[in-house]
Amino acid sequence: MIRRNGFTDETLEWRSWLDPLQLADASPLQLEVLDESHPQSRTSPYYLTLAHQPLMLRHRSAAYNAIMYAPGGLPRAERELGAMVVSVTNGCVYCTSVHAQRFEQLAKRSDTVEQVFDDPAAAGTTERERAIARFAIAVTERPHALGADDIAPLRGVGMGDEEIIDLLHAVAIFGWANRLMQNLGEPVGNRLHDAAPVWNA
Amino acid sequence: MPLVDVSEQDVIDRAAGLAPGDPLHAARRFRAKVVEATQASHDALLQEPVDGLSTADRLRVAEHVCKIAGAASLARHYRAQLDGAAGRDAMPSPALPAMLHFAATLTTDPRRGDRAALEALGRAGLGDAAIVALAQLIAFLSYQLRVVAGLRAMRASRAEVGP
Repeated sequence: MIRRNGFTDETLEWRSWLDPLQLADASPLQLEVLDESHPQSRTSPYYLTLAHQPLMLRHRSAAYNAIMYAPGGLPRAERELGAMVVSVTNGCVYCTSVHAQRFEQLAKRSDTVEQVFDDPAAAGTTERERAIARFAIAVTERPHALGADDIAPLRGVGMGDEEIIDLLHAVAIFGWANRLMQNLGEPVGNRLHDAAPVWNA
Repeated sequence: MPLVDVSEQDVIDRAAGLAPGDPLHAARRFRAKVVEATQASHDALLQEPVDGLSTADRLRVAEHVCKIAGAASLARHYRAQLDGAAGRDAMPSPALPAMLHFAATLTTDPRRGDRAALEALGRAGLGDAAIVALAQLIAFLSYQLRVVAGLRAMRASRAEVGP
C-alpha cells in the first residue's frame, strides 16, 4: 500500500453529488449502455450518474475502452502510467487510486507509482517512463503550447506514430475522466482524511 | 435538428489539418474505433435532445471553452456550427452565464470543481440529466482539444525530421 502526498493506491469509493439513476427506473437502453460500459456499472454511483445520458455514455465508454484496453500499440502499463500522471497532475485522487492499481497489476511493480505520487515531473524508472510522464504533464498543463519539442523525446525512446497516438489518447481521455470524477462527486474512503487534502486545494 | 453537415469529415482531422493520404491520418486509423467513438461523442453531446440545454447553448459553451483553452481551430468549428444551427436566433437560456462559468472553471482547473458549483447549476434551472450532459460536453472538449493539439505537434515534428 502506498500513501503519499494525498494520493493512495488503496481502493476508494466515490459518491455522486447528483442523484444517480435508480436501476428500477432504468430504461432498456440505459441498462444496455451500463452493461457495455463496465462490468460493475450497475452498482457504480459514477456510471449510474452518467447513465442519465445513455447515448453520451455509450460513445464515451466505446472511446475509453478502445483507448485503454485495445491490444497492440503502446503497452497497456504505459497507457496506465500516462493516465496516472494526468490524474495526479489534475489532483484527481479517485482516478489516481484506480490507475495506480492497474499499473501495478500490469507492470508487476510499484516503484514508479511512488515516484509519480512524489513528483510526476521527475518520475520514471527508465528514460522511456520519464518521457511518458513529461509528455503527460505537458498535454495536461499546456495543450495550447505543444510542439515538435514535446514529441522529440518520445521518438528518442523509440516510439512510432501509432504508439505516440496511443499515449496521446490515454493522456487526453484522462482530461475527460478526471473532470467528471472531480466535478460530479467526490472520493470517499475510511482513511482519506489522514492524507493531505490535495483534492480540496 | 441537423447541424451544418460535417458528416463527410471528421472534426479532429479537420481541426488538426489532417487529410486522407497524410501519414498521420493513416496512423490515426490504427485506432479506428477511437476515431469513430470520438466523432460519435461529439455528435451526441451536441445533438442529443436534452431538456433545458439547447444545441445552440451547447455550441456557445463549446466555443467559449475552446477560446479559453487556446484551441483556435476548434473554436472556429464550434462558431461555424453555431452560425448554422437551428435556434441560434432564439434567446439563450437564462442559465447560460452559470453554464459558461462552470465551463471555464472545469476547463482551466478541474480541482476547483466543488459541490457548490454543481448546485449553482441546479439553482439556475438545470436538472440532473442536463447537468450530466453539460459536464460530459465540457469534459469531452478537454479531451478533444488535447488530441488536436497533440496531432498538430506530431505534424510539426514530422515536418522537422522529414517524412
